[in-house]
Amino acid sequence: MENLVALEQSAHQHIKIDTQKAQSHAKNLNMIPVVMAELSQIAVQQPIVFAKNSETGEFTLNALLGFEQHENLFYQQSQWQGVYLPLQLQRQPFFVGDTHAQQTQYPVCINLNSPAVVDNSAQSENNLEPIYTQSAEESGYFKQIKQCLGHLLQGELDNKKLIAALLKYELLQPLSLEVTFENNQKTKLNGLYTINQDKLAQLNSEQITILHQSALLPAIYTVITSLGQIYPLIERKNAVLNLADD
Amino acid sequence: MNQQDKKIKTVVVVGGGIAGWLTAGRLAAHHKSNTPDGLNVVLVESPNVPIIGVGEGTWPTMRSTLIALGISETDFIRECEASFKQGAKFAKWVDGSNDDFYYHPLVLPQGFSKTDMAGHWLNNTVESASFSNAVCYQEAICEQGLAPKTIRTPEYAAIANYAYHLDSAKFAVFLQKHCTQQLGVKHIIADVTQVNSAKNGDIASVTTKQQGEISGDLFVDCTGFSSLLLGEHYKVPFKPCDDVLFIDTALAVQVPYDNEDERIASHTISTAQEAGWIWDIGLQHRRGVGYVYSSKYSSEAQAREKLKAYVGDKIESLTVRKIPIKSGHRSHFWQNNCVAVGLSAGFLEPLEASALVLVEMSAQMISEQLPHTRDIMDITAKRFNETFTYRWEKIIDFLKLHYILSNRDDNAFWRDNRDPKTIPQSLQDLMKLWQYRAPADHDFTSNNEVFPAASYQYVLYGMGFKSDYSTTAYMLKDTVFAKSQFDKNKSMINQAVTNLPSNRELLNKIKHHGFSAI
Repeated sequence: MENLVALEQSAHQHIKIDTQKAQSHAKNLNMIPVVMAELSQIAVQQPIVFAKNSETGEFTLNALLGFEQHENLFYQQSQWQGVYLPLQLQRQPFFVGDTHAQQTQYPVCINLNSPAVVDNSAQSENNLEPIYTQSAEESGYFKQIKQCLGHLLQGELDNKKLIAALLKYELLQPLSLEVTFENNQKTKLNGLYTINQDKLAQLNSEQITILHQSALLPAIYTVITSLGQIYPLIERKNAVLNLADD
Repeated sequence: MNQQDKKIKTVVVVGGGIAGWLTAGRLAAHHKSNTPDGLNVVLVESPNVPIIGVGEGTWPTMRSTLIALGISETDFIRECEASFKQGAKFAKWVDGSNDDFYYHPLVLPQGFSKTDMAGHWLNNTVESASFSNAVCYQEAICEQGLAPKTIRTPEYAAIANYAYHLDSAKFAVFLQKHCTQQLGVKHIIADVTQVNSAKNGDIASVTTKQQGEISGDLFVDCTGFSSLLLGEHYKVPFKPCDDVLFIDTALAVQVPYDNEDERIASHTISTAQEAGWIWDIGLQHRRGVGYVYSSKYSSEAQAREKLKAYVGDKIESLTVRKIPIKSGHRSHFWQNNCVAVGLSAGFLEPLEASALVLVEMSAQMISEQLPHTRDIMDITAKRFNETFTYRWEKIIDFLKLHYILSNRDDNAFWRDNRDPKTIPQSLQDLMKLWQYRAPADHDFTSNNEVFPAASYQYVLYGMGFKSDYSTTAYMLKDTVFAKSQFDKNKSMINQAVTNLPSNRELLNKIKHHGFSAI
């Protein structure tokens, strides 16, 4: 169970964050939401795919991490295995509170039940980061977190813009993927979408210019390129299966 | 150019109800009326004749119709108060007891195309579920009030096959807007006062009170019960079928939901009464309820009592509309250069929601087979008449089937319905065949059968009919496969009821988020 509260210096002065344990929030995710600004970093380690939000049916942008439900091949031995840590993991255990229409400041909240939250113990381990300094100022670590949350908020808007453009030009198509692993185990991925490259090639110069001017073109090509990461991901799965067989 | 080589350039649709707009829209979409060289489609609508708004239930065909018209499913559902329909539940049709019900779902029986599932079900000792529950997962979905898909399913795609319930007044307005703004249908609001003939007996034009004379090469009569062109002008006779289907009156009422969380049934509920049956259709904002009965077997006062017993006391504050029903159809539908679609062609009680599907099928055939020249038209007309005469007859058979299998004995209405004199020979023949085997596709000759063999199976075995396989037991040796299909259906029921949202929940989500096209 999550215990979500608004962060307050007076109440949370002594809390420290175990940044490695914060990564454990990815433990059971076979996809993690990503934003446009980080696509080039994601593309060198995971396939970027579109999926639909189960509550709203709206398209979301994600890094694919595994082939089965709850399978994350990038979280092994209690830590994240990639070079780049997606913003959605960097921010843990913090998040942006309810954003009401007229508000310009968003409250930062914390999940007090996160395994990353360490309550003022005598422990002084390497990975522990304070939220506030002894003089009750925001720590450098926390300033980074706030930046990260800011990127995510902006990223949500960017993603919406990207997805709206892709839908407008009918550039999304279902991605049907049937994978056979080394041990002949088969799996079929459903509910994923990617860029329709034929349609992309048919866009006229005016449409391409619009995509270019709204700075969406790099994201589109990055998503296409990232699909090659399916093969390393299959390799990761094979490695896990081989370990299990041994 | 002589009269016979005349190209078909302009189609005039007379009448602005759903039949008129669906036909005009289908023609305009298929023949690119929104481009300079496309077909001219003109719809003349009277400012004074109210639309009847037949039936609020559709068939799954409505999905392909809307797709053909280029309509977004999200827009349609939002603007027409539409909800999902996954078939019909027939309550109290067999013996009238409280737990007497069966389903006619829209999904084909599991394994239907591979083996005689009905035969195996009839002679199965391990499968105790009702026929529709044993071979189809849709009854379970409906019983739990679930939708046929999720918000992630693309527009018009289904997890379980579905049709719609819709608000017909809103649907007519919605179609009008789409046809005139997107498809290039020309809308003329005027009263037709006179039909003008050409030498060959064709309709050359219609004269209107407000907009003068409107000429065309083909006229579509969508003028409702008045059947202005086919009936009045051409005097094509009406063939009543009230000797087979006794219903002649409807009492209809719109029932608001008690609260905004009340369940919206995702199927039509049809509950048998002493002299007919009550329909119950859930839309987003209200239910449409009505008692269709035979005035020979029930007084209006009795009928109102039955309707009140069904709806409850709140009916006192609601408006009950009385609608006379004349069951039957014109002896043919296409005469010279005039074809009738909708009520002008005929009407049957709404037991299996056949009104709109006939409009759709007519509109599709007219637009896809639109003759290029006048001399071809007679061939098209002949084929159209053969096709639709067959369809009307088949629908009459299928509706009658529901009555002849009933054991109800509470009124002469039910007993007389079982009298062989009231049963068409074609249906009596089929019933004889099915004494010894289940309905099969080859019992029917059309390539686009209105009610396929599967529908007959659902009604026959839902109502407790037994086909006797005792002399052909060797036909039922596929037991391992049949068992695997029954099992597969069970696991599909489990999957469906775990993953599907409630009908109302999905409709609310569509209002807020909409479906995506892929």
